[in-house]
Amino acid sequence: MSSKIRWTGAVLGVLGIATTLVLLWMVFFWVPTERTMGVVQRIFYIHVPAAWVAFMAFGIVAICSAVYLWLKDERLDMAAVSAAEGGMLFTTIVLLTGPLWGRVAWGTWWTWEPRLTLTLLLWFIYLGYFLVRASTDNPQRGKRFAAVVGIVGALDIPLIHLSVVWFRSLHPAPVVMKPEGPSLDPAMLATLFVGLGASTLVFFSFFLFRYGLERMTQALAHREMAAQAAPRPEGAAS
Amino acid sequence: MEYLRQMSAIIWKDVVVELRTRERIAAMGGFTVLVGILFNYAIDPTVVEPQAIAAGLIWMTIVFGGMLGLGRTFSLEEEEGAFQGILLSPIPRDAIYFGKVASNFIILTVVTALVFAVFALFFGLTFGGHPLALAGVVLLGILGFVAVGTLFSAISSGTSMGDTLLPILVFPLLIPVIIYGVTATAILFAGRPVAEVDGNIRMLGAFAAVAVFAGAGLFRYVVEE
Repeated sequence: MSSKIRWTGAVLGVLGIATTLVLLWMVFFWVPTERTMGVVQRIFYIHVPAAWVAFMAFGIVAICSAVYLWLKDERLDMAAVSAAEGGMLFTTIVLLTGPLWGRVAWGTWWTWEPRLTLTLLLWFIYLGYFLVRASTDNPQRGKRFAAVVGIVGALDIPLIHLSVVWFRSLHPAPVVMKPEGPSLDPAMLATLFVGLGASTLVFFSFFLFRYGLERMTQALAHREMAAQAAPRPEGAAS
Repeated sequence: MEYLRQMSAIIWKDVVVELRTRERIAAMGGFTVLVGILFNYAIDPTVVEPQAIAAGLIWMTIVFGGMLGLGRTFSLEEEEGAFQGILLSPIPRDAIYFGKVASNFIILTVVTALVFAVFALFFGLTFGGHPLALAGVVLLGILGFVAVGTLFSAISSGTSMGDTLLPILVFPLLIPVIIYGVTATAILFAGRPVAEVDGNIRMLGAFAAVAVFAGAGLFRYVVEE
């Protein structure tokens, strides 16, 4: 079972790296330069796929957490924490690439733009998720607490989104998901899709490796507990 | 009926304990008055008119003061396993949660009234001509705040970080309350028509409803042994 997870993770990882290399080639040599923003727009092919994965990961955290509280299956909690770690990594990528682009396009590193704000808050909700897990003595309790944080965070994200959009909007309007169809150049759209594929593959590769690691960590903890509980065999005392 | 009786038992206990010890009210009340004094020196009245930023100051004071009291929601029960006793009693978990939210709400309402009084006195503020709409905005806002805060207070008091963790967990989730609450309060302070804050009141109501029901549903998993 666990070798199957590792194999799938490795296969996805190799595919992810290969797709990332193709993506980098497309971004640097193939895709046309955007007319108004210039070269800096190319960060879009990393930024948007990372954001997509960050929010998808949070969806996985919320769903696994909710079902974990219901069924109390340890595997769901392992999936939730693995997705949360991947999600936090990609949220960090979004928060690093966004200001790099914004400095050139908007002339400022940071602005209280809705999607930027939402991503920063998402990062802090992930932070709370890990702090809660790390600061409980009883691991079962930590898992339940973290699940509650994940669920409440997911319920609150739409409300935060509504409120920050309502507050102010100056982020470029969506160019892909809108009723009249994408307004992006076909080559740019193709690059974006390769980017989405690359980040999704890399995420699930991370996810599977992290899941396998979590399983081994917990199995080790169980064995240590069992070893402490069991009486020592004669003559084996140190 | 039985459910209401059990819920009010929790509320009654908390309110009576608070009336006798005045622990949280004293801490939160003292805190808010002192914040008012600090703001007086932090803001240069010749540069910024206090009335212009009153809504933000009042909300931040309520939130910071509120965290102080919310963090101690379960502190009394932590001693000598009192919470085990409540959990062993035949009260449904969500009734405990509703009771705790209600008693926190009562305490925070008193503190909020104090904040308004103190800030009006210190800064000579006027609150506009719509007391009912203002009360609606503030009460719905603090209900949402208390509902989230009570749930996370149960979490943070179960961790080794304790109250320190509470703001990190609660503040990111409070953005809607702050945005809709502060803008509506500012509109009402400026004496503009109530119709302008209809949307804000609806959103504050939606937040409070989601927070209360999510809290009631999830509380049992937080206190589970």
